[in-house]
Amino acid sequence: MASSSTPDAARNRPTRLALGEVEEAEGILRQQLPEATGGAREGGRKGGWGTAALAAPGMLWIGFYLVAPLVIIILVSFWTWTDAGFDRSWTLANYSELFHDSAYWHNMLSTLVTSLIAVVACLILGFPVAYFLALKVQSLRLQVGLFVIALAPFWTSFLTRAIAWTFPLMGREGALNQILIKLHVISEPIQAFGFSTLSVRLAMIQLYILFMITPLFFTLAQVDRSALESSRDLGANWWGSFREVILPQTMPGIVIGSIFIFVLTMGDYGTVATVGGGNITSVGTLINSKIGAVQYPQGAASAVLLVILLMGAVWVITRFSNLREDL
Amino acid sequence: MVDQEEAHTEGAATAAPSVTHSGLDLIGLTKVFPGGTAAVADVNLHVDHGEYVVLLGPSGCGKTTTLRMIGGHEYPTEGDIVLDGQSLVDLPPHKRPTTTVFQHFALFPHRTSLQNVEFGLKMHGVGKEERRKLALEALDMVGLAGYKDRKPGALSGGQQQRVALARVLVTKPKALLLDEPLGDLDRLLQLRMRVELRNLQRELGLMFIHVTHNQEEALSMADRIVVMNEARIQQVADPLTVATKPATEIVARFMGDNNIIRGKVVEREGDRLVVEDDEHIRASVIAPNARHAVGDPAMVSVRAAAVTVDETGSAPGTLNSAECEIVFVEFLGDLVKLHLMTGGERMLAKVNAQEYPSLRGREGERIRISWKEEDGQLLDA
Repeated sequence: MASSSTPDAARNRPTRLALGEVEEAEGILRQQLPEATGGAREGGRKGGWGTAALAAPGMLWIGFYLVAPLVIIILVSFWTWTDAGFDRSWTLANYSELFHDSAYWHNMLSTLVTSLIAVVACLILGFPVAYFLALKVQSLRLQVGLFVIALAPFWTSFLTRAIAWTFPLMGREGALNQILIKLHVISEPIQAFGFSTLSVRLAMIQLYILFMITPLFFTLAQVDRSALESSRDLGANWWGSFREVILPQTMPGIVIGSIFIFVLTMGDYGTVATVGGGNITSVGTLINSKIGAVQYPQGAASAVLLVILLMGAVWVITRFSNLREDL
Repeated sequence: MVDQEEAHTEGAATAAPSVTHSGLDLIGLTKVFPGGTAAVADVNLHVDHGEYVVLLGPSGCGKTTTLRMIGGHEYPTEGDIVLDGQSLVDLPPHKRPTTTVFQHFALFPHRTSLQNVEFGLKMHGVGKEERRKLALEALDMVGLAGYKDRKPGALSGGQQQRVALARVLVTKPKALLLDEPLGDLDRLLQLRMRVELRNLQRELGLMFIHVTHNQEEALSMADRIVVMNEARIQQVADPLTVATKPATEIVARFMGDNNIIRGKVVEREGDRLVVEDDEHIRASVIAPNARHAVGDPAMVSVRAAAVTVDETGSAPGTLNSAECEIVFVEFLGDLVKLHLMTGGERMLAKVNAQEYPSLRGREGERIRISWKEEDGQLLDA
């Protein structure tokens, strides 16, 4: 790419922009700034109370229905279990019991694996879809139309979709086995499709993938097209542009989608119960069965551990992107 | 580099394309967008290395599309783009020896200025040490070495623009393409960056192709101006010629501050024509190549700055003069623009600022204006 026409004169002494006048102009323009920003800051402070008043109902709602139950659960997890529920004497027994319960940890591990598989699979499967919608579909109308169609499964109830997964689709006589037999891929129906860990994991990917596609779509749609063009212009091939321009700008979407899917699948109870047909357990079903057996303190302790684990995981995921700066 | 100005003054627009082996040639370049609108129609142009060419025209005239085709961001429907004997048409942008400064700088928001500048070198496989050194040199060249770790969001518009410049120059392109490079800057900064950008180009000796809709910017920066309108080249000439001898009515109107006298040829004597309009303003003009005969419709343009105000006045019907009513006296600091009306025609005169005290407040009065024959320019339709 070396220019053949560069004169020797320019090579011998360094070429520079003479910036005296330019910097002076920038200085003149800057002097107007403090006044402008000062005014805006004052206006913002005045608006603060109004915004707080608007936010108050929502904050009260969250306080009452989210924070208060959480506090209660934490308290209950330190109380003593009785046949009737619990009495308010402090104990660490619920936790020490859990720490020594291998079945609980086994459960936690398999739920964690399921969640990680769901996050990775949703990312790998969802990214191309979001990429296509946001960057390849040129007309805005078509883009929105296709996005709404992609959302269509969410128009049906969660339970309906989960049940549709069991017998009709994945069961012994279900569509998947039928198709594979017709295609002579298999001769006998595969048992593992129905009410198995595999079917639970497959179902979760399908049920939650839109939580990945949606934030990815919105961050990809905001990728600066001209920055993309200029990366091509500066010599980047597709992969170079993707890695250097698209990926950094999409990180917030990846992080948000991953948090959604991780949190939703770790705590999932409905999918495991229906698609797993009672054969499969997860942290969610375990907590549910403890509550069902009136073991409130044990159930609460399991729930608290899950919340701690989720918070830790969310913290780790957010390390991948500075959301406050990038979004 | 500067003396090339003489080499191509005018007429290149209509000359048959000749492919030389040095410089850039656009040959019959045409772009038709789906739906059938031609954005660029049969553009022929030769640009030398070291030349500063400005594509000038109103929005939608095809100047940006032409630039994007050179850079590889649009594919021509017809025609060829040849740089130093090599056709670029089938090369993707990243394989072309051209780089573009995009309109809104198009910096990578998640990368520091140093990383932005390093990018092109990284993509060309330059080693880490080497590319860091070259990138720092380039940042120093635009006076931003001290800002190497800042992200674009923490830089002013002018600084971002300079990072964008360093980012493309570091890849040592054969041709630099600039799409409204000063459009996003404050006017004060714009005025000063013009000079610096032009000086930088002279020192580097690189081919710059610059797109703008700003007439003043084009006049102040270009070796040659390519005036475009509705997908076609209207005129290719040096700034002085474009400003004083517009080739067509469109150029005369777009450049602004031109008086256009539209009428019929009433006399012809060798190269000298006299055109008279409906208001009986008679303008004489020397036009060696004119094919007009007496009775043919014709247009003459006269720059507002070439018009003088005669308080004493010449007799009505005199050549190259008109009696007008003053509509508005506009003071512009270093000059005064007189908005005049002669019958149904608007006319403009630009006079020295020192005339302002004697002209101020005289709206509604009648005044006589005149101009010299050599300031008249016969226009192509």
